[in-house]
Amino acid sequence: MMEPSEKEAPAVHTRDVWKIFEQEAGEVPAVRGVSVSIARGEFTALAGPSGSGKTTLLNMIGGLTRATRGQIFVSGRELTGMSAVELARLRLQEVGFVFQAYNLLPVLSAMENAEFPLLLQGVEESERRARISELFARTGLTGLEDRLPGKLSGGQQQRVAVVRAVAARPALVLADEPTANLDTAASESLLDMMEELNRELSTTFVFATHDRRVMDRSRRLVRLVDGEIESDDVRTP
Amino acid sequence: MSYRSRAMTRLAWRNIRRHVRRSLLTSLAMILGGTLLMISLPLGDGTHEAWIESAVRMGAGHLSIEHPDFHASRKIEDRLSGELRASVEAALHTPELRGRVRLSTPQVNIGGLASSPSGARPVQILGVDPVGEAAFTILDEKVTAGRYLSDEDRLAAYVGVGLSERLGLELGSRLVVTSQDGSGEIAGQLLRVVGIFRSGVPEIDESLVHIPMATASEWLGIGEDVTRISVLVDTSADVDATVRALTATLSGPSLDGSLTVMGWREAMPALDAAVRVDDFGNYLFQAILFSIIALGIVNTVLMSVLHRYREFGVLQALGLTPRQTGGLVLVEGLILTAASGVVGIALGLLITWTFWRDGLDISAVFSEEFSFSGVVMDPVIVPSFRLARVIQGLVFILVIGTLASLYPAYRATRIDVAEAMKFER
Repeated sequence: MMEPSEKEAPAVHTRDVWKIFEQEAGEVPAVRGVSVSIARGEFTALAGPSGSGKTTLLNMIGGLTRATRGQIFVSGRELTGMSAVELARLRLQEVGFVFQAYNLLPVLSAMENAEFPLLLQGVEESERRARISELFARTGLTGLEDRLPGKLSGGQQQRVAVVRAVAARPALVLADEPTANLDTAASESLLDMMEELNRELSTTFVFATHDRRVMDRSRRLVRLVDGEIESDDVRTP
Repeated sequence: MSYRSRAMTRLAWRNIRRHVRRSLLTSLAMILGGTLLMISLPLGDGTHEAWIESAVRMGAGHLSIEHPDFHASRKIEDRLSGELRASVEAALHTPELRGRVRLSTPQVNIGGLASSPSGARPVQILGVDPVGEAAFTILDEKVTAGRYLSDEDRLAAYVGVGLSERLGLELGSRLVVTSQDGSGEIAGQLLRVVGIFRSGVPEIDESLVHIPMATASEWLGIGEDVTRISVLVDTSADVDATVRALTATLSGPSLDGSLTVMGWREAMPALDAAVRVDDFGNYLFQAILFSIIALGIVNTVLMSVLHRYREFGVLQALGLTPRQTGGLVLVEGLILTAASGVVGIALGLLITWTFWRDGLDISAVFSEEFSFSGVVMDPVIVPSFRLARVIQGLVFILVIGTLASLYPAYRATRIDVAEAMKFER
């Protein structure tokens, strides 16, 4: 079967994807034959209890871990046979990450953290600064540019992480439990911001979450149980 | 520098600054190594320079121009003719060589027998130009009785203290030296002791006799001929270039095969071996020292990599390749070792500089006079500064720093990114 071209391909497409971990007790399947397609511009949540395989699936989509079987396509490009270098390039160009623990680089300021992927992409300084300033203004981070992560609140750090994820204009942002460490107000504010970025920049967001607030905001909810898709609901906002 | 390189260098530098204590600990080891390196190398070079200077000024110079067979035969027939001597002396005054040559002096060096009423001893007889030789040799400063030869002397001898004791000689005593002359006959010469010296090298003190060149020429019937022309240059490091320049100047159909230019290493192989062995010992000590330092660096850099496991995972998630992640660790190691290497070398040079004028007195270690291979050990070591040694030291430190960072860098390339995200510090 011909795969669609990169421009018209879905942001994510998986076909019968398995991930089996080898452990002392034997083989432990974390993801079992997941096939799912996520169109460009979607705001999708992969939900499920702990151990349901949602983070593992997210990591496989982001090329952070390799599938044991099956095929994964990101923007029409198959990840399965890619080398470590090709996967790194794909992440740099196509994928942004938001982690539960923010994972900002502690020695860089908020501005420097946000522009780091742009530096790796070789974007000119004026263009970098313009993009980050604009995103900082949108996300209420103006004035915090020179602060180190240790001097920012959890919510502010996660906002910087989201700016870092979208600044390089990736096709896809993968967010693993982005609200897990935030209080309700900070979570709502972060979700407002991500919805806005999704709407205005058409960036595809895929969340791995068990946070009800994220599930409620998502326009598609894929439920995973024991590594398999239990339900896949498209919801009307 | 590309944006990526700038980003990596900035990140590396900030990480070094962030962990000040760890960076300082790593630096201190390298600073100590660099300091010791820059103390031991100039002191070692200074010691060797003193050995060489002492040996070359006892006779043959940094380089000598001889008949090609003289070094092996030591026979009077293997000598330089008066015309060759004149050619060599003219060559030493050409503009190409004048700047390189500090001093030069002609010598007649033959083996013979010295006799007195008390007995006879085999000796090395050195016919010298008294004025030129006084500037060249250090033996004139070692006088214990009488004086060194002068231009007016004819039947004079300047003998070692060992020989004077063996032959019962005092100032004014007569001795006869016997040797093969220029025509192959045995010839004797009566001499009178005008001075006695103590070089500190028993072999020299028991066998060397200086006599005026004019006396030697007349006695041996060799006219203006000499067995060698000895040359001093500024430092032993200049010898090879001077040998090349002199050989090039002296090359020509009339001179080819009739003389050879010999550096001190060739002329004094035992001293050459001693210098090489001592150098090897120094290098071995440095290698052991820096291996220990490198192990310390491997440990601290590796701990840093393990401590920052999650951070390296994040960098790869952001798009850094495994090799670039390893490169970051290498850059950190290089910045750290380069900076501490420069500080260590500067500190070492500063300490060594304090010894430059008066030298380092180690007479407490060598309380008695000590000699080997015709060299007297001077208990005061004056360090020798060479820019090449500083560059060599810096390169050595950078290589050690790079090697020590290789394994931690390799570990950084092997990070499982998904696992790193779960890693709690």
